[in-house]
Amino acid sequence: MDKIIKRIKLQNFKRFPNLSLDFNETLNLFIGDNESGKSTLVSAIDLVLSGSRSKVERYGLESLFNKNTINEFLESEKEYADLPILFVELYLNDQNNKDLEGKYNSSDLNTHGLQLLCEPREDLSSEIAEILDQEVDNFPFEFYSITFKTFAGKSYSGYRKYMQHLLIDNSLISSDYAKRQYIKTIYSTNTEDAEKNKHENEYRNYKDKFRREELSELNTRIQGDYSFAVDTGPKSNLENDLTIKEGEIALDNKGKGKQCFIKTDFALQKNEGDLDTILLEEPENHLSHTNMKKLIQKIHDSETKQLFITTHNSLISSRLDLRRAILLNSLSTDYVLLDDLSEDTARFFMKAPNNNLLEFILSKKVLLVEGDAEFILLKAFFEEVTSTDIEETDIHIISVGGTSFKRYLEISNLLGVKTAVITDNDGNYQVNCEERYADYLSENAKVFADQDNSVSTFEKAVYKENESLCDDLFAEGRRTLSVQEYMLANKTESAFEILDNKRDELSTPQYIEEAIEWINQ
Amino acid sequence: MDKSIISAVAGSGKTTHIIKNLDLEKNYLVITYTINNYRNLKHEIAKKFDHLPENIDLYTYFPFLYAFCFNPFLGYKIKPRGITYDYPPPSKRYTKANQIEYYVSKNRRLYHNRIARLLEELDVLEDINRRIEKYYDALYIDEIQDFAGHDFNLLKSILTTDLEVKLVGDFYQHTFDTSRDGNTNKNLHQDYGEYLKEFEALGVEVNEDELEKSWRCSPTVCGFINNQLGIQIESHKQDSTLVEYIETAEEIEDLYQDDQIVKLFYQEHYKYDCYSRNWGDCKGENQYENVCVVLNQKTERFYKKGKLEKLSPVTKNKLYVACSRSHNDLYFISEEKIKHHKRG
Repeated sequence: MDKIIKRIKLQNFKRFPNLSLDFNETLNLFIGDNESGKSTLVSAIDLVLSGSRSKVERYGLESLFNKNTINEFLESEKEYADLPILFVELYLNDQNNKDLEGKYNSSDLNTHGLQLLCEPREDLSSEIAEILDQEVDNFPFEFYSITFKTFAGKSYSGYRKYMQHLLIDNSLISSDYAKRQYIKTIYSTNTEDAEKNKHENEYRNYKDKFRREELSELNTRIQGDYSFAVDTGPKSNLENDLTIKEGEIALDNKGKGKQCFIKTDFALQKNEGDLDTILLEEPENHLSHTNMKKLIQKIHDSETKQLFITTHNSLISSRLDLRRAILLNSLSTDYVLLDDLSEDTARFFMKAPNNNLLEFILSKKVLLVEGDAEFILLKAFFEEVTSTDIEETDIHIISVGGTSFKRYLEISNLLGVKTAVITDNDGNYQVNCEERYADYLSENAKVFADQDNSVSTFEKAVYKENESLCDDLFAEGRRTLSVQEYMLANKTESAFEILDNKRDELSTPQYIEEAIEWINQ
Repeated sequence: MDKSIISAVAGSGKTTHIIKNLDLEKNYLVITYTINNYRNLKHEIAKKFDHLPENIDLYTYFPFLYAFCFNPFLGYKIKPRGITYDYPPPSKRYTKANQIEYYVSKNRRLYHNRIARLLEELDVLEDINRRIEKYYDALYIDEIQDFAGHDFNLLKSILTTDLEVKLVGDFYQHTFDTSRDGNTNKNLHQDYGEYLKEFEALGVEVNEDELEKSWRCSPTVCGFINNQLGIQIESHKQDSTLVEYIETAEEIEDLYQDDQIVKLFYQEHYKYDCYSRNWGDCKGENQYENVCVVLNQKTERFYKKGKLEKLSPVTKNKLYVACSRSHNDLYFISEEKIKHHKRG
C-alpha cells in the first residue's frame, strides 16, 4: 500500500510559529526565495520520518525553535507554564496500522501519523524554574525532551521506522557523509534483512580469505608475533565500502552535475520498492539545461512515490505541474497553493510561455510594466526619481503582457508582494485603469496610469514630458510620421536610443514618478 | 458474531483450545492475564505456525489496556509516564473520580486498577470499540475469571462489538482481580451461577461441557478436589495416583529436599530454601509431575476437620490452583513441621 503524507503541521519550528499545509499525493513543489522556508519544510519532514534524536541534536533546539516565540517568552513574565513547545506532525493516509493510528496529536484527530515533540521536561520543572528566575535572559533549551511518537502514542526511532524516505540534497553533493547516507539508504531499501546479513557475512569472509591466501607469504617474512590483516571492524564494513557505479565509473568519480543526476535518477526508479518518500533539495544545482530537462522528465514519469522538491528554477516549476506548487515567501509565514488562485489564473501560468512567475514570487517589490519600451526606460526613470540604481534595491522590474496584470495582482495579494502596475490608459482612464483593476487593488497593489485620456500610451507620456529631447533625437529626417508617431511605431528602438543618448536629460512622467515613489517607500 | 464463554477446569487444555481455533486468515486479538499464560500461549502459537504470525496479536491485559486502549485516545492529553502496579495510597481516599489525581500517581504513572475507569469516565469506550473492530475479527480472552471491578465494565463494553468472541476461564481459579476498586462489581465472584448469568445477559453463550475434564489431574486428584473443596472437576485419565498427608519428620524432610517435587506455599515461599512457589503464582503452569502442598496453620486445621470447602473463596481458589498443578501425586505437609527451615 502506498504510504502518503497528507498534511504537515508545525508549531514554533524555525520560521513558522504555526503552519498547517496539505500535500499532494504525488508531487509537491516548494517554490520560494532564500529564507522563505522551503528547506525548513523539507528538513521538518526528514526529521520526523527519520525518528533520529541525534539528528535533532545536531541541528540544536536553539536553531530549530522559532526565534520570535523564544523572544516573546523571554520578554514575558517567564512562567514555567507558558514555556513554548515545538512540534512537527505528519498526518498520513490510512495504512491500516494500529501502531500509527490514534489521537496522539495536537488536532485531537483519530488518524494515522507521526510526531516530533520538544517540550520542557516535567521532572526537571524545579531546575527549569530556577533558570527562569535568573535576571539574564536564558532559555532552558537543554531541559527540553525530544520525543518521536506515532499517533497511537507509540515511540519510534531510526531503528523502528514506519516509512522509508530518502533526502537528496544537491547543495551538499560533495559531502562525504551525505554520499554515505545516500548509498546506505539505497542499498537498504533494495535488500532484504537476511540478504543484507548474508552480504556482510560473505564480505567479511572474503577479506579473511584474502588475508589467509594473499598476505600469508608477506606475513611469514614478518618477525615476531606481528602480521598484516585486512580491517574487518565497524568502520570498514560492507556498507561503508559500497559505492554505486554507472557503467564502469563509480559515482564518486563523476562530475558534480552527473552525480546529482544519477542519485536522483536512481532513487526514482520504479523497482525502488521500499522507498515511500523522496525529498529533493534544489535538483537544479550543478545541472546543465539538457540534463535538467531529462531530470524533469524522470520526475514527471515517477508516479509511485511521493515527491517533495524545493526549487527556485523557473523551468522546473513551470514544466512540472504548477498546480502542485506551494509558494513560499520570505515576508510571510503563510503559503499559497496554486489551487488558491482562480482556476483561469492557475491555468494561465501553466500554459504561459516563459512566464516570469518565479521572479515575481521571489521578489519583495515589483514594478510591473506592459512592454519592452517601459522595461528599458524604467531603470533610468527610477534613477532620476530616487538617485539610486534599481539594482541596489529589492525592487524588480518585470515586463508582462498588459492582459496578464490581473493574474499577477491576484498573486501579489495572496503573497503580499508589493506591486505597482504601470500601464496605459488607452484613452479611457476611468474604464481601463480604475474600473478594470478595482477588485485587485490593496495596500500592496496599486495601478498607475496617466489620468489625462489624451495621453493614452507610454510613448505619449514620455514625449509629453521630454518633447525637446525626443525632437532632438528623432525629428531629423521625418517626412510622413511625426516624432510622436515614429516613437509609437518603433517603441523598443526609440526607447533604446533615448537610453543610450539622452539618459541624463530624461525626465519622468508624473504617474511613473508616483509609482516609483510608492514602491520605493 | 458468535460469542461464547467456556468454563474450563484446571488442566483441561484451555491454551490448547485457544490455539486450536487460531488460523492465518482472520485477525486475532488474544488477551491473557498472567505472564505465565502469556509465555505458554506465545510458545504454543510459535509451535503451531513455526513463527509468530502478524495476524495474531497477543497481549497481557495491562499492556493491552495502556498501549491499545489508553494511549491512542488519551495519551496526548494526559501524558503519563507509564503504569504503576501499586494501589492508590490511602491519602487519595478523598480524591474524586472526576479529578485526574484519582488516576495518576505523584510520579505521573497511571494506577493500573483505575485505567478502565478512566476510559469510561473520559468517554472513549466507543472509540476503543471502533479501533478493535477495525483491526480485529476475533477476540479471545483467557483467564476471563480475573476480570473484576471496572475492568469487567470495559469487558462488557467490548462485548458489544461485532467480533467473534471466545472467553475462556475457570471461575474457581479466580485468585486475584485485575482491579479491586470500591463496590464496582464487588459481588461478581460470589456465586458461580450468577456470574455466568451476567455473561448470558450480554449475549454470550455459556459452554460448560467442552472443557469440564482435566488432562492433567488423575481421577484420584480430581476426586479429592471434588470431595474436599467442593469444586466440580473430572479427569480424562484412568490411572490412580497418590493423594497423601505426610506425617513423619523423616518423610517430610525427604520431600523438602527433593528438587523434583515442587513445594507450594500459601505465601512467602522464598523464605524457604527449597524448590518452591506460592499457590496463587503457579496458575497457568503445567510443568509439575508431583506436587507437595504446604498447609499453613489455618488451612491445616480446616483440612483435618474435612472442611476445606468452608475456606474463604480466595484461599480456597488458590488451594485449588495448587492441588490441580499435579500430573501425578499430590502430597500435603504441615508448614509447622518445616518451620526450622524458615529464614528471616
